[in-house]
Amino acid sequence: MLIISLITFLISTTAPGDPVEQMLTSQTGDGSSSANLQANEESYLEKRKELGLDLPIFYFSIGQKSIPDTLHRIPKPAFRKNLSRLINDYGNWPQISDYYHNIKKLQLKLASVQRDSANATPLIQANDGVKALYIEPNPDKMDFNLEKISKAIVAAPSIGGNSGIGQELAALKSSYNEMTSKTSTWKNYVPSFKFYGLDNQYHRWFFGDKPLFSNGDGNWASKGFLRGDFGISYKDQRPVSSVLFSAVRWTFMISIISILLTYLIAIPLGVFSAKNKGKLSDGIITSFLFIMYSLPSFWIAILAVVFLCGGDYLGWFPPFFNPDLSGGFFSDFKSLAYNLILPLFCWTYGSLAFLSRQMRGGMLSVLGQDYIRTAKSKGLPDSKITWKHAMRNSLLPIITLFASVFPLAISGAIVLEVIFSIPGMGKVGYEAVVSRNYPIVFAVMMFSAILTLIGYLVADILYAVVDPRISYNSKK
Amino acid sequence: MGREEIKELDQGYWAYVKRQFKKNKRAVFSLCVVGFLALIALFADFIANEKPLVMKYQGSTYFPVLKQYGVDLGITKWPKELQNVSWKNLEYDFVIFPPIPYLPKNQDMKNAQFTGPFDEQRVKSKRWHHWLGTDDIGRDVLSGMIHGTRIAFLVGLLSMGISSFIGIILGSMAGYFGDNGLEMSRIRVAMNVLFFFVAIFYAFTTRSYQISDAIGNSVISFFGQLLICLMIFLAIMLLANLLSFALEKIPILGKKMNLPIDLAISRLIEVVVSIPRLFLIIAVVAVAKPSLVLVMTVIGLTSWTGIARLIRAELLRIRNLEYVEAAHALGFSSLRTMVKHAVPNALSPVLISISFGIAAAILIEATLSFLGLGVPADVITWGGLLNKAREAHDAWWLAIVPGFAIFLTVTMFNLIGEGLTDALDPRLRK
Repeated sequence: MLIISLITFLISTTAPGDPVEQMLTSQTGDGSSSANLQANEESYLEKRKELGLDLPIFYFSIGQKSIPDTLHRIPKPAFRKNLSRLINDYGNWPQISDYYHNIKKLQLKLASVQRDSANATPLIQANDGVKALYIEPNPDKMDFNLEKISKAIVAAPSIGGNSGIGQELAALKSSYNEMTSKTSTWKNYVPSFKFYGLDNQYHRWFFGDKPLFSNGDGNWASKGFLRGDFGISYKDQRPVSSVLFSAVRWTFMISIISILLTYLIAIPLGVFSAKNKGKLSDGIITSFLFIMYSLPSFWIAILAVVFLCGGDYLGWFPPFFNPDLSGGFFSDFKSLAYNLILPLFCWTYGSLAFLSRQMRGGMLSVLGQDYIRTAKSKGLPDSKITWKHAMRNSLLPIITLFASVFPLAISGAIVLEVIFSIPGMGKVGYEAVVSRNYPIVFAVMMFSAILTLIGYLVADILYAVVDPRISYNSKK
Repeated sequence: MGREEIKELDQGYWAYVKRQFKKNKRAVFSLCVVGFLALIALFADFIANEKPLVMKYQGSTYFPVLKQYGVDLGITKWPKELQNVSWKNLEYDFVIFPPIPYLPKNQDMKNAQFTGPFDEQRVKSKRWHHWLGTDDIGRDVLSGMIHGTRIAFLVGLLSMGISSFIGIILGSMAGYFGDNGLEMSRIRVAMNVLFFFVAIFYAFTTRSYQISDAIGNSVISFFGQLLICLMIFLAIMLLANLLSFALEKIPILGKKMNLPIDLAISRLIEVVVSIPRLFLIIAVVAVAKPSLVLVMTVIGLTSWTGIARLIRAELLRIRNLEYVEAAHALGFSSLRTMVKHAVPNALSPVLISISFGIAAAILIEATLSFLGLGVPADVITWGGLLNKAREAHDAWWLAIVPGFAIFLTVTMFNLIGEGLTDALDPRLRK
């Protein structure tokens, strides 16, 4: 469980895109005026703090000595990436940090210049140059951009003469030279170990920073995954738990129904086909099941949607999942059944085929055993032998398969829910993946892992219930 | 008993397996189908291509399809008059086009918007007919199907290659050494653990930018960089073991300790199994840039558990057999006994697992590209074609054909797996 949470978290930290920018896009201006730039930067930092992204990622880190432990405080990921690239190339953090701050100062100064018709183009060029410097690790291109800025300043005297932009540029250039000349790449090859303590992103995400029993000083950001706080969705700012709860209901309901159906049909079918081994009926059932087993469920689902749900062909079933749950119990049930028949069929038939085949195999091996012959020679009725003596023993492997059928149903949910547009966990997860809404993605992943583990647990318990020889008390 | 039969019985284990397999008509048939599909995958460029197979143009003869391989490898270059040409409209003296004169990416603007195979198509002649119709932007579906075969086989084979590599190594270590089989001196354990991190640091952390640059450049330079990293890694690990060899002479450090390898690997298997695979793959694939290599790697890294379990169980049995004891008695090192004597005898059940695994990998890849994840947008796959059917419900050819191809391939690999299961089962030996 811990390991899964770690893996999930690891992927989440490497996720591209900047959640803060995603949340702020609606509010930002173009950042042309100085005040605007300042305000943007402030609101950016604030949001970042709110999400806890200014904290170190994990409890400790093993890295290169040249990487400072304050790098994670640099706000924008693109800048951070560029800086770490520069560190890799030059290895001298103090100089690089100087360089970065000088770019920032120059940008602020440029933003405070009054724009008029004479200096508009050079100003835009200078700003472009500065923006490029933020994200450009290639020395040739850095040279080029520095040159571009100085040219722009020379071209428009009203920029160059204004409030010491010339000095800023000179400072920037000298820090640039410093950075490229005083390299210390050896630091890249010295490992260093840093410890950050409990105040890190992972701890906050998984355990939360709210005190256990009190409300603390009210200054906590998250209760943590373990206490049911999954964060908030980037897209609509709703808590993830409420988004998930309504979705999990559907997935869980359909999975349970489909598993029940699977077992109810598969066991008799397997027994029947094992009893009639070698006959025509067995041959038909077996090959039919084999074909069903290898039919990809999403293909069948697509065929069903294309040919059976409205469109140009047969319109037997609704094209979109849209049950009407407003009427009484029976009308609700009818509407739900009408909407669910096709999805349930696609959900069920694969594992049904799989289970029946297993059941047939298990039954066959049991029927060949001596005690069945004994029962027969005792003159017990055939049905009693089949259903009581043979079936109970051949049930064992089937029950352990619950552990694999259950996760199958859950993961099968992704494609099928997308095709039938059922608002379940799979669809929510898929949409979150597409729109890069990571808190939901990771919550869904954790959830399905938990459900998988529950599946194993249930299988273990069932195993003990069916087979009295197995006990989970310690053996000694 | 005729002479022939005696000869048959004399043959070794694999000949026997082959004989048993041949008895299973369905499995042999599906092996043929898979072989046929593999041929299609291999020669996809010659079957469906925009370039002619042979042509005579302005007095000189070319083999453009073959030449393209040379150009891709950087051996030859296109002559000036053939750069950026529209192959379809050149004035040839003599030309033979491939059976399907389209590449999957070619857009036939005149026949866009889901033109069906039986609809009226605006083409020059029957020769240019889209036999399986087109998709929304006029790409030929049949050509996409043929090139998709290649993708499906690549994904299936390579990801199973990765997973069987991991599975066989971990499984055989767990099974052969068990919990008490491997003893090491304390210092060696400590040094190995410590230097493992050091090696990772020097081989990968400090070189991360070289690697990521190389990915941007070309596949060859990427593998070159990867090779350098691996060599650094191995060199550092070798150094660790040489050092510990010297330090072992000190009694306290040289004391032997038991390594419960079986326990560790079994726990690892349990963890990997409990990760919801499809969700993990989707999450990884969604986060990273779409690439086929990534899809294959992730599928490979999550599906080795079955093979590892099989090998472990087999080796737990084999290591107690007399001939392994004999090898020990002869003084062979345990590594040699394991690699040369024990593991080869455990490999046959893995074949079954691999053929089922290929089917599963193809299915997962199809699912992913069906969802539009993982595979770059310009790569045409079966799953991607099937996905188009969701946009246009009246394009029945897009719903049926790719799905059937997936179904066929998966079924054939499953049938081969079944056939192998029967052929390798000693209980069925007559």
